[in-house]
Amino acid sequence: MNIQSNFWDKFSTNKRNKYSLLIFIFFFVLSLFAEILSNDKPIVLSIDDKLYFPIFVSYTDKQFGGFFDTEADYKDEFITSRLKEKSNWAIFPLNPHSYDSINISQSAPNPARPSVYNYLGTDDRGRDVLARLIYGFRLSVLFAFALTAIGIIIGIFFGAIQGYFAGRVDLYMQRFIEIWSSMPELYILIIFSSLFEPSISLLIILLSLFGWMGLSDYVRAEFLKGRNMEYVVAARTLGLSNTKIILKHILPNSMVSVITFLPFRISGAILVLTSLDFLGLGVPPDTPSLGELLAQGKENIEAWWLSLTTFLVLVGTLLLLIFIGEGIRESLDSRSS
Amino acid sequence: MKILEVKNLTVLNRHTKEVLLDNISFKLNQGEILGIVGESGSGKTLTGLSVLGLLDKSVFNIKHGSIIYNNIDILKLSDTELQKIRTRSISVVFQEPMLSLNPVQKISTQLIEVIKLHMNHNADEQIKVARDILVKTGLNDTQKILDSYPHMLSGGQRQRIMIAIALVCKPEILIADEPTTALDVTLQLQILELLKNVRTENNMSMLLISHDLDLIKNYADRVIILKNGVLLEEGSSFEIFNMPNHEYTRLLIDSSPEKLITEKKQSEMLLDIQNLNCRFPVNNAFFKKNKKYFTALSDINFHINSGETIGLVGESGSGKTTLGLSIMQLLDYSGKIFLNNVDLSLLSPEKLRESRKDYQIVFQDPYSSLSPRMNILEILSEGILSFNNISESKIFKKCSDLMTEVGLEPSMLRRYPHQFSGGQRQRIAIARALSMKPKLIIFDEPTSALDVIVQKNILNLIVDLQHKYGLSYCFISHDLKVISAISHRIYVIKDSKIIESNISDELISNPKDNYTKKLIQSSFIS
Repeated sequence: MNIQSNFWDKFSTNKRNKYSLLIFIFFFVLSLFAEILSNDKPIVLSIDDKLYFPIFVSYTDKQFGGFFDTEADYKDEFITSRLKEKSNWAIFPLNPHSYDSINISQSAPNPARPSVYNYLGTDDRGRDVLARLIYGFRLSVLFAFALTAIGIIIGIFFGAIQGYFAGRVDLYMQRFIEIWSSMPELYILIIFSSLFEPSISLLIILLSLFGWMGLSDYVRAEFLKGRNMEYVVAARTLGLSNTKIILKHILPNSMVSVITFLPFRISGAILVLTSLDFLGLGVPPDTPSLGELLAQGKENIEAWWLSLTTFLVLVGTLLLLIFIGEGIRESLDSRSS
Repeated sequence: MKILEVKNLTVLNRHTKEVLLDNISFKLNQGEILGIVGESGSGKTLTGLSVLGLLDKSVFNIKHGSIIYNNIDILKLSDTELQKIRTRSISVVFQEPMLSLNPVQKISTQLIEVIKLHMNHNADEQIKVARDILVKTGLNDTQKILDSYPHMLSGGQRQRIMIAIALVCKPEILIADEPTTALDVTLQLQILELLKNVRTENNMSMLLISHDLDLIKNYADRVIILKNGVLLEEGSSFEIFNMPNHEYTRLLIDSSPEKLITEKKQSEMLLDIQNLNCRFPVNNAFFKKNKKYFTALSDINFHINSGETIGLVGESGSGKTTLGLSIMQLLDYSGKIFLNNVDLSLLSPEKLRESRKDYQIVFQDPYSSLSPRMNILEILSEGILSFNNISESKIFKKCSDLMTEVGLEPSMLRRYPHQFSGGQRQRIAIARALSMKPKLIIFDEPTSALDVIVQKNILNLIVDLQHKYGLSYCFISHDLKVISAISHRIYVIKDSKIIESNISDELISNPKDNYTKKLIQSSFIS
């Protein structure tokens, strides 16, 4: 019996944990193929017995016999009419809209109700809500993964140094963290978003500057406990270097608190991004994001398909992550049998 | 006349279905002390808890059996009925006096709470009863004790208060679960004498649960032997100890350490310690002049010759572990520690790391001294690899040899620490120390966490290794019996000073210092 398989046994005995994880992975992996699932370009098309793959290669209008040197618009009347010709055909994705494609032929005023063209309706600029949800979900989760990963690396690094060397090092760094954490995060975000062009990488950098502190506290506590364990003292008497002791002896034994933290940090990061977008301080305007959809839902309160669908996606994601987190915490708890 | 009868008690673990107590039956007579002896995990504490009706029903499943007290089956009582019986009729003293008292309440509150609950007295009488019981348990300064918080009292005093609380309602039965194990040896004797006197005075019956055979032999009238939840043998103390029937009982009785070493010829000095001082700051004062220190070691002078075992014996808090850690260069100290005439305190960090090969340590708790996430091969090879770069196959060979050396199968190298028993883990810890080919090994209470039979095996292994490799040992323990069995010379350490030192036999037979005398008297009670 090793620790990993034991962990999985414990985790999967609770059906809620197992299915939460499977459902989350399913949707996440699905969203990674968003370009194939939801796009205004066909996956494959054949014109004059020649095959084209518009999703992967960009073709100009001219290549299909048009006039423009720009990329072809596959919803344009010219191409749709070409596709209707005898042997020509095209396979469109399940949802034939991208996150930024505007349905010009749509007759209903925007935001439009759900219909056969737009399964979940459109937002107030005529963009497909389903497409924006798929891309927005993917962006949120990826963003959260990146933010969490960076936070964990920085958090472990500082927490480990503080906890392992303790004493004076710990004292000064702890004071630094106290000062650093009392900086008004939101104001700094507002100031920076007006100074620089808002972008996702800027957002990750800014949030990472503050996001590591919660975790480093836990790692520090684990290391403070770990450095006095007898096997660590024994390693020191064997003449091992500090780096080796940290990496081989204390870190593996303090990972439990980090791993337990993980899903909660991910869901926290999703929530942060959503709230910032909601306030208009987050990602650049055209990026698909759950927060921006919520803000639109607030503006157009009668367009229930905007707020309700986004709400369900958000709640579903957070709920799944929290179930997974709780499952991990329970399974790693050595006291429960 | 029997006062309590346990019939066919069988207890299972509700989750793992493991049988923890298997068909246990015994009787307790009026005014008798019944000793329950067994190793850790034998079910002796569980037996005590079930008599009190304290088993957690969500974990333990009482499959069948009955515990008859006063014609009532305790196992069938409701919680409120049990509460009436507890303390008033059946009372308990637990092992840990440090944990059994509430740290935020005064002793008076905790003691009078019990009196209020079980006896009809007015306020004045309550205090009088409280004082009487304290005097009876040997705490004469009653007002001061009643006004104290637990942390202001010593371990012995706290255990006396626990006994006072247990006895205040004059129970018919007292369950003493390892009542002295957490206490220093010199206190053990006093507490046991106290329990014995109260027993005769009140004609009380007692269940004395212990792993310590000498203690049981001296204080119990009858004895039962438990192993893995099975009652192996029952009989009067005399019968059990002089004509044991069961093989396991014989093994237990034989396991008290005997003289294991032969006389040592003179040899050159390996370790020399001169004027060693060690102190810890107790407050976190900003200015140096406000700093207060706790002196852990003051002016320690001693030496170890090569191929020799010296024993360091002392109570908890005497500084013996600090001394061990100072020799290992793991603490800041002042003074000189020479190893092979090299002053370790003057070495550069790199040289010091090099020198660590020569001295190794084996800790008390084999559960915390091995990293739970590394397998045995990694644990054993780590030290070797930190000094040499050798091929994987050679490392494997070396570690296999080490395993054989300490009496374990080389095939176990891929296993993780939690798959081993306490004794096996301690063997692995010894193998790890050996892997560095040291000249000196410090043993810091290496057998205190182990059962007596395992203890003897480990001690034998330690002595064998010394003969084979001519190692020098510094053996730290609170247990004078173990120390005297294994050491050539003994140093007695008390309140951070060495108060007496002599050749083993001399010290035991002819102690000079009063404390040493007391220590010897309480260690060899039989």
